[in-house]
Parts: sequence; structure tokens; C-alpha cells
Amino acid sequence: MNKPIQHCLLCERELNQSFGWEELLRKTLPQTICPRCEQRFHRVEQQQEEGVVSLYHYNEAMKDFLHRYKFLHDIVLAHVFNRILHEQLKNEKRLVIPIPMHLENLKTRTFAHIDELLKAASIPFAHHLIKLSNEQQALKTREQRLQTPQLFEVVNVTEIKGGNLLLVDDIYTTGTTLNHAKRALLQAGAKTVKGFTLIHG
Amino acid sequence: MSTTTISIIKKHYRLFRPISTSKSTASSSSQKHTRYYGFIPEPAIKNFFTGRIWSRMNTPYPQSKIETYIKRGYFDITPAVITEPKLKCRRCLNEQRPKFISFHCAKCQKTCHYCRHCITMGRMCSCDELIMWKKEQPRSRMQKSQVDFTWTGKLTVHQQKAADELLTSLKQNRNHLIHAVCGAGKTEILFAPIYASLKAGKRVCVATPRTDVVLELYPRFQQVFQQITIHALYGGAQNDTQFAQLILATTHQLYRFENAFDVMIVDEADAFPYTYDEALQRAVMKARKAKAPIAFVTATPSTKLLIQQRNEKWGYSFIARRFHGQLLPVPRYQALWNYEKVFYKEKIPQKLKNWVEQRLQNQQPFLIFFPTIELMEQATPLFQHIEPTIESVHSEDPDRKEKVMQLRNEERKGLLTTTILERGITIKNVQVAVVGADNPVFTSSALIQISGRVGRNMHYPSGDIVFFHHGITMEMDQARKKILEMNYYE
Ligand SMILES: [Zn+2]
Ligand SMILES: [Zn+2]
Ligand SMILES: [Zn+2]
Repeated sequence: MNKPIQHCLLCERELNQSFGWEELLRKTLPQTICPRCEQRFHRVEQQQEEGVVSLYHYNEAMKDFLHRYKFLHDIVLAHVFNRILHEQLKNEKRLVIPIPMHLENLKTRTFAHIDELLKAASIPFAHHLIKLSNEQQALKTREQRLQTPQLFEVVNVTEIKGGNLLLVDDIYTTGTTLNHAKRALLQAGAKTVKGFTLIHG
Repeated sequence: MSTTTISIIKKHYRLFRPISTSKSTASSSSQKHTRYYGFIPEPAIKNFFTGRIWSRMNTPYPQSKIETYIKRGYFDITPAVITEPKLKCRRCLNEQRPKFISFHCAKCQKTCHYCRHCITMGRMCSCDELIMWKKEQPRSRMQKSQVDFTWTGKLTVHQQKAADELLTSLKQNRNHLIHAVCGAGKTEILFAPIYASLKAGKRVCVATPRTDVVLELYPRFQQVFQQITIHALYGGAQNDTQFAQLILATTHQLYRFENAFDVMIVDEADAFPYTYDEALQRAVMKARKAKAPIAFVTATPSTKLLIQQRNEKWGYSFIARRFHGQLLPVPRYQALWNYEKVFYKEKIPQKLKNWVEQRLQNQQPFLIFFPTIELMEQATPLFQHIEPTIESVHSEDPDRKEKVMQLRNEERKGLLTTTILERGITIKNVQVAVVGADNPVFTSSALIQISGRVGRNMHYPSGDIVFFHHGITMEMDQARKKILEMNYYE
């Protein structure tokens, strides 16, 4: 990142960063938002989807975050959830695979938002999927979604054959995206494929 | 703003004139085209872009049309963020390194930089471009405009004098400072000088740091100046595509203008964030035309501003009396030891509780100012326990306008607030308390502004203003002293 963060990324309040021995020894990631902003996000207590772990509920605060991160393209906000993502995924044994963006969308947004979340949390990942269409799943009817033949193509198949994989996306809404990706990876020979999302919509 | 700041600004401004696409040749050839092919720019496009600095890829017009105008040389183009010799946002002129984010950009495949300072207006990277309508031949030095001036109010002697002085300064293209107490009727002073400027075909901007003030001024100006287009610009306002001769804008919205105004009026010149934020000051300098005069209006000018006024020989008007002729209410002190601890023990400090009960009994609306949102939120339910219509407001509160309106309509008995309501609002017969007046957020000018909420109505020219404190500060004394001084003037 550019430099140490001294102000809350969301509200600009000054942060009381501690740079003590403990932080240095344990190499924790820096705090990037203030407690006031942090408490506006609500953790998911009980997982609601089979085979998918989600961290937060979708609420006003999250809506605001997504607007600023994905719509206003404020890439530095990738660091808002650095600590919790790190905590959750640092001991992950499975291969972490982010849901990719379509190349055209990537150019417009200028960055891949899932990749950036993982990078900010220092979680290694690998790309094994290519997004084939740039249509928005959310804009389709259920009917159309079910008919969409194939959203992803798998690349570097040998590296995932027989492997246990963890797919990462920002938000779980209908599950279509994760299901498509999962199906493609299983067909390509993966042993197990689970999901992980920041938000449960 | 100090003299040095201004000269620095001027210098920078010159350095960063639009990077034109081979200026002389492009503009002369485009003029030839104008004649040769009879390509006449649509008035709507010209009107919209005159004086504006706008994202190339995100205008209210079809992209092909914009590209045609660019090809024909009607626009200057500049990268949105300049990288050499150092990072600088071309829109808000921010140069503070911590406010830039650098990242690997998938669009240009290079390291890109964007400015977070003005990101709410849409992110602009170093690989994005801004366009500016090219300077025209001076509009035959201002055609006179048709403006109707339909104000029938009467000015006090003091107001009239200030209005005349301001008018003289504007005619001479000289800066001016109006130093007038809260409740002197500053807006009315502006009407006649603005009218004269509009009539002469000048483009006028009234800039203020707060959206609330823009919203309050807009209907008043619309009523006074009929027949002309007035735009009110603030975060969240719609983009109007017409040309407005009179613009009311938050200082933030000035980022979108350059070399646009013949007269610049900066209302509440001392208010946060204007005092603090050098980028906003630069935005004022950037939005006005090179020699256009700036008039500053304030109840609490900083020493810097006063010195600058004297050194640079600006015009100066001073009004010590309110429009209704009555003295300013003078704050009284009341000790409220350890108020914070008491609130966190879920109790309202007794003296404050008495004060609120007195207001409720007398049926007087009231405002209680708090130093922090946290303390205010801690206190809100405790007050609601005494009186359920009490609410709190702060800067991030979306229902702020509504709650203030309800206080005005007597649907609520009182409001708790942060300094956000320190200025711009007028509530008949309001009584005011400051909790923790010793907290550093309450500077002397904030305290003067807060005290200025009391006794503004002609029928209720006095009222209680009390500073509850845990120790008296210099700022409190300073505020009280300045208010008393004003009352000694004839
Ligand atoms: Zn915060
Ligand atoms: Zn900027
Ligand atoms: Zn770029």
C-alpha cells in the first residue's frame, strides 16, 4: 500500500494506531477503520447456505461500502476488511480462487475487487477461472439465469485436478455465480469446491 | 488566508493553466473552420461548458458529440491528475500526498493515481481526462442582461451603508470584507450589489461551505431575481444543463468550475471547512476569472483575513448592530463539573436538567450543543426520557433538515446537535446551551456563531445563551469579550 493509514478509511476520523511490540511480533495488519465505523457492520452469526461461509450481513453500512468501493472505485477501501479476512483465511489449506471479472468490466473498473480484498489481507490466491460473459447475473430473471449455459471457463486444469478449492466472492445473493463456478471446477476434476463471501445479501 | 497563501495560489495557478493541444494553431484553425464550414456550436453545449471543468467521458451529452467538439478544437484537455513535478489534482487542486492513492490500473496498464479529496464527484485517475471549453473572445465585454429585481424590503441604515460600500468595491474590481454580527441581515446586503453585477452581464457566484446555507439562500434569491437562471449546486443536486448567470454553490462544487465568475462572494468565509482546507481556498481562486473581485462575508473574521484586508487595501464594511436594533445576547457561564462522567453514568447533570425543564415549562424551543457525536448519542435517550420529542442531529444525519424543520414548527421541543447547526439556522425564540464549552471544538468563533442563534427574531430579540463547562477557557472568554465589544458600538 501507499503509506501507513492514520485516518479511518470510511469516516476520516483519526485512528489511535498502536505500533507496539505485540503488533510487530505478531505481524498483525494495520487497523484501517475506527471502532465507530466497525460496529456499523454486522457479522453473520449463523451460516445460512450449504457449503458457503459469509462474514457480514448486507445493511446500510455495507451498501455504502459497496457503493464507494465498487461504484466509486475507491480501491483503497479494499483494506477495510483486511484484518478479518486475514484472520479467517490465513490458515486456509484449500486453494483460494477468487471469482474473476470479465475483461471488459475489469478495464472499466480498473481493478479486480475480489483480488484486491485478498491482497489487502495478505492471502495468496490463484486464478483458474475466466469469466465468459459480461452480463450481470442480478439483472436477469430466474428463468434466464437457469438457462445461461456456461459463465466460466477453467484454465490450468492440471493444477486443480483432485484439489480442494475455496471460491471467494464479495456477496452471496442468489448463489448463481458460485454455483456456476463450482460446477465448472468440479467438471474439470476438482475434488471439493466450497464458497466464501464477505457479505450475505 | 494569508497574503503568502494567495500569492502561492496565484503562482500555482499560472503554472497549471490548461495543457492545451498545441494551443495557438488549434484555436486559430478551429476559428477558420467556424467560418468556413459554418460549424456553430450549439448554445446548450456552449452554455453548459463555459467556465466548467468536466470529465471527458462523463458529460450529459452523447460521447460522439463531445468528441466532435474536441476534434474541432473547442475544448482544452488535461489529465485529471498531473504527475509531474508532483501529484496534483487538476479538479480540486489538492496536492497533499496522503490524499492520493496509487495503484496498478487495469485500464491503462500502468501505475495510476487518483485523488480521494474530491472522489465523491466521481473518481478521476491520472489516465482520465478533463475538458474545458476554450476561452471565448470576451463576450463583447458583457452584454447587458435582462434581470428583474423584485425585492421590496427595506434596509437599515447600517445595511444600506454596507451595500453601497460593497457595490463600490465590486465596480472597482476590488476585494471586500463585510464583517457583520450574526443577525445583521447579511443576505439582504448582498441583493443590490448582486443585482447591479447581473444587470451589467456579469456572472456571479455565491459560495458557502455548507449545503444548509445553499438550501436556505436559494428560494430567497429566486424570489428576488426573477427572469434569470439561478442554479443551486451542492452534493446530490441535479446537474442542470443550462447556463446560469447566478450560481449558489457549496465551496466543494467550485471544483467543477474554472475561470468562470466575474464576481465571487464567499459567505460564512470563516466556516469549517473553508478555514481549514487550503484546497477549497484554491478552488475559489480557480473558479473566479483572473481579476474578478472576491467579497468575503462573515461574523467572525479571522485575524489573518483582517490583516489581509488591511494590507491589500480591500473594501471593508462593519456592522455591529442586528437588523432589529437590539443588543446581542451575552453568554453566561455555568459550571458543570465532570459532565462526561455523569452522562456515562446514564444521568443528565442536574444543572443542565434544570435548564431543560425550565425551557419546557416556559414552552421555549431549545438547542443543546455537544462537543462530540459520541457524547451526544450517549445523552440522547436520557433527554428523550424527559421529553420524547427531543432528537439529535449531526453532520451525517440524513434527516437533519427535517428535524430542524420540526423544531421550527414546534413539533419538537428541542434538539441536541454537534457544531453542524452553529450557523445558518434561524428559529424563533430559540434558547441555547453549550455542553462542554471548554472542549477545543468550541473555538471563539464557533461560540460566537452559536450565541448568534439567540434573539434573531424581531419579536423575541433576547434569550438565554449558557456555556456549561468544566473549566473556563480562553476561547470562551474571547467569545464573550467580542460579543460585549459589539454591544458597545453605537
Ligand atoms: Zn470511521
Ligand atoms: Zn481532487
Ligand atoms: Zn489508469
